[in-house]
Amino acid sequence: MEKLLFELTRLGIVPVRLTNENEVYLEVSPADFKPACLALHKLLRSTVMLMFAEDRRSSEGTFTIRAGFIGTKQRRWFFVEQKVPGPAFGSIAKEIYSANLFEREIKEMFGLEPEGNPDGRRLRLHDEVWSGGYPLRKDFESAVSGPIGNYPFMPVEGEGVFEVPVGPVHAGIIGPGHFRFSVAGEPIINLESRFGFTHRGVEKMLEGRDAASAAKLSECVAGDAAFSHSLAYCRGVERACGIAVPTRGDYLRGIFLELERLYNHVADVGTIALDVGFSFPAAEASVIKENLQALNAELTGSRFLKHINLPGGVSRDLDQASVKNLLAQTAAATRDFRRLREILYASVSFLDRVETTGALSKKLAEDLGVIGLAGRASGVKLDLREVFPGVYDGLKVVFREKGDVLARLEVRLDEFEESVRQIERLAARLPEGAIAGDEVTVGSGQALGWAESWRGPVLYWLRFTDGKLERAKIVDPSFHNWTGLSAAVLDNIVPDFPVCNKSFNLSYAGNDL
Amino acid sequence: MEYGEIIKILLMLAAAPLISGVISRIKNNLRLRRGPGIFQPYFNLAKLFKKEERFSEHSSWLMKVTPYIVLGSVLSAAVFMRAGDLILLTFVLSLGRFFLALAGLDPASPFGGFGSSREMFFAGFLEPIILLAVFASALSGGGAIEASSILAAAALFLATLAETSRVPVDNQETHLELTMVHEAMVLEYSGRSLALIELASYLKQAIFFTLIMLVLWPFLVSRIGWYLLSLLVLAVIVAFTEVSLAKMRLFRVVDFLFFAGILALLAVISAALGV
Repeated sequence: MEKLLFELTRLGIVPVRLTNENEVYLEVSPADFKPACLALHKLLRSTVMLMFAEDRRSSEGTFTIRAGFIGTKQRRWFFVEQKVPGPAFGSIAKEIYSANLFEREIKEMFGLEPEGNPDGRRLRLHDEVWSGGYPLRKDFESAVSGPIGNYPFMPVEGEGVFEVPVGPVHAGIIGPGHFRFSVAGEPIINLESRFGFTHRGVEKMLEGRDAASAAKLSECVAGDAAFSHSLAYCRGVERACGIAVPTRGDYLRGIFLELERLYNHVADVGTIALDVGFSFPAAEASVIKENLQALNAELTGSRFLKHINLPGGVSRDLDQASVKNLLAQTAAATRDFRRLREILYASVSFLDRVETTGALSKKLAEDLGVIGLAGRASGVKLDLREVFPGVYDGLKVVFREKGDVLARLEVRLDEFEESVRQIERLAARLPEGAIAGDEVTVGSGQALGWAESWRGPVLYWLRFTDGKLERAKIVDPSFHNWTGLSAAVLDNIVPDFPVCNKSFNLSYAGNDL
Repeated sequence: MEYGEIIKILLMLAAAPLISGVISRIKNNLRLRRGPGIFQPYFNLAKLFKKEERFSEHSSWLMKVTPYIVLGSVLSAAVFMRAGDLILLTFVLSLGRFFLALAGLDPASPFGGFGSSREMFFAGFLEPIILLAVFASALSGGGAIEASSILAAAALFLATLAETSRVPVDNQETHLELTMVHEAMVLEYSGRSLALIELASYLKQAIFFTLIMLVLWPFLVSRIGWYLLSLLVLAVIVAFTEVSLAKMRLFRVVDFLFFAGILALLAVISAALGV
């Protein structure tokens, strides 16, 4: 930490503000923004975890733009903050690629031009239906639909090169996303994806809400990570307003977070097998997944673990019998899961399909800012449960180096075991006491809340003013990782795309917000 | 041709969907599922015959006539099989395949192009295998079970998996257009045309199952009881194969078919040497 601060001082970046124990804000002038970001990016070896603007024109007369980095050694979040009065700000995307999508987002939501960002296209508000207005500005009134435009995909030309459009309507039960393949025969030479079809304006909807109703909305951002999202949100509220959570509540949150990981990891193992036509283990996996979701329903009343998190704690307690049931069922699921694992490893035809398929190198993963599960499969060892342990004890971070479909599968296989181990530990040490604070008063403040969902870090940056949300920035790991998928499928053949896609299993809704 | 022959072929056409129904039922039971009844293919066909037909605005007459050509080619293949002309059978089937591939390209859908290209890629390997296997059985005279007939039947079995778009070559159950081979070609079909194409596929499957028996031991097709029992055994084998394997990577299929080709070649050699 001292060394870091020294380095920053040497660069002339002095004003440092420390809030909420582990959030460090560096307020810099627009001219210093890029050097400060570059310094943090280099010193912390962190991608841009989040970057967002805030409309502060009514109180300060300017927009504020923050870029957030994580210091895994320092166990702190670092934000570089600049005030932007005008219609433009300096882009950092050419130097730090992971800022690219965030800058495009700021451009379309706030109308601030990232000067120097080579990609001027829209991100979520499609030209076909949207002509004007910047939704996240405070003076925004309503959406305007415009004439049908065209989205320029990157053209790939050459003899025998074809463009194959797939989606946004897909044959399976998945979200909508458009994939534009450029293929030369079967090999994929370029893949561009386009999203925004499930854009609901969540961040705008959150503005002006009170803490409790916003918690409900946060569960709907990405259905399969409902608990992680509400957890990240609630932690944000608690940190912003100094609300204490009883220890038992914290432990229960840990258990539920791991339960969410369990059912999602099993489901993915099954669908990876199904996508290579290996239907037997897929059927096995669907049985295990069903058992786990039925367990969720038994314990909490919700198969997707919704309606549990509240600012200040949780709403569902586990009594002695429930804990016993939980341990028995997870042990049974582990036995079934190990058998599933054996079936997969015993099948040469299956391993032949997943090995070397969709490989994403560590270098590329780092450069593109791929994080979470997909990142760990490529050797990017970031797990927020390790950086900020909280109730976790001795968590083993699972990672692989190869970054292929098999690696992403193996990370899931091992994380399942680790999650069960953590559930057992948490259940064994479950302290007595209240599960939520008695009186939760939400005042004013700003903070970052986070949770390591099964997909990766879910981040909520929140500002409350007099109990109402003024700005909420949500980052689902999918937003970082879709780019990784486009890079991973290059040089693979078209029929292998579905299994590559399923091995990332990214959220459309979490990306589109 | 006698009326009896025509009736036999029509019976075969009528009974062919049942094989797929049985295979699907066994597969589902193996995967801890109940699955639809064995007559489900008939219900599907009845549904399709009743439904409205839609054609892409980019498609031509080719797409409309292809289902009839395909069904016609498979029906005449059945006739040639009854007549014992197995070489003509292979070429008549190729005719149907050729038109199906054209119809895959016709509506200008991106998936159809993939399907046609993949199907023709496999076909280039499949036809020699079938011809060699048939040739081997012709050389050995086709009496009792011999080494050559077992080899030829094994080669034909592998070819059948490919011809009937089964795992590990193709996957009939998938919804993933990008991975399809046969299904991708017929994605744009609906209603009666789709029903005709599916009916043709069922009959083609029955023909290939029968061919395997003919090559292995002609006695199996001489009595109706033996014939039905052998069909059931083959259905079980196919169901087990499909459930226990993952689909191969597209270009690996070449190795698979190459192996089938070697088997067929060995069958010819051993038949010629009289082993």
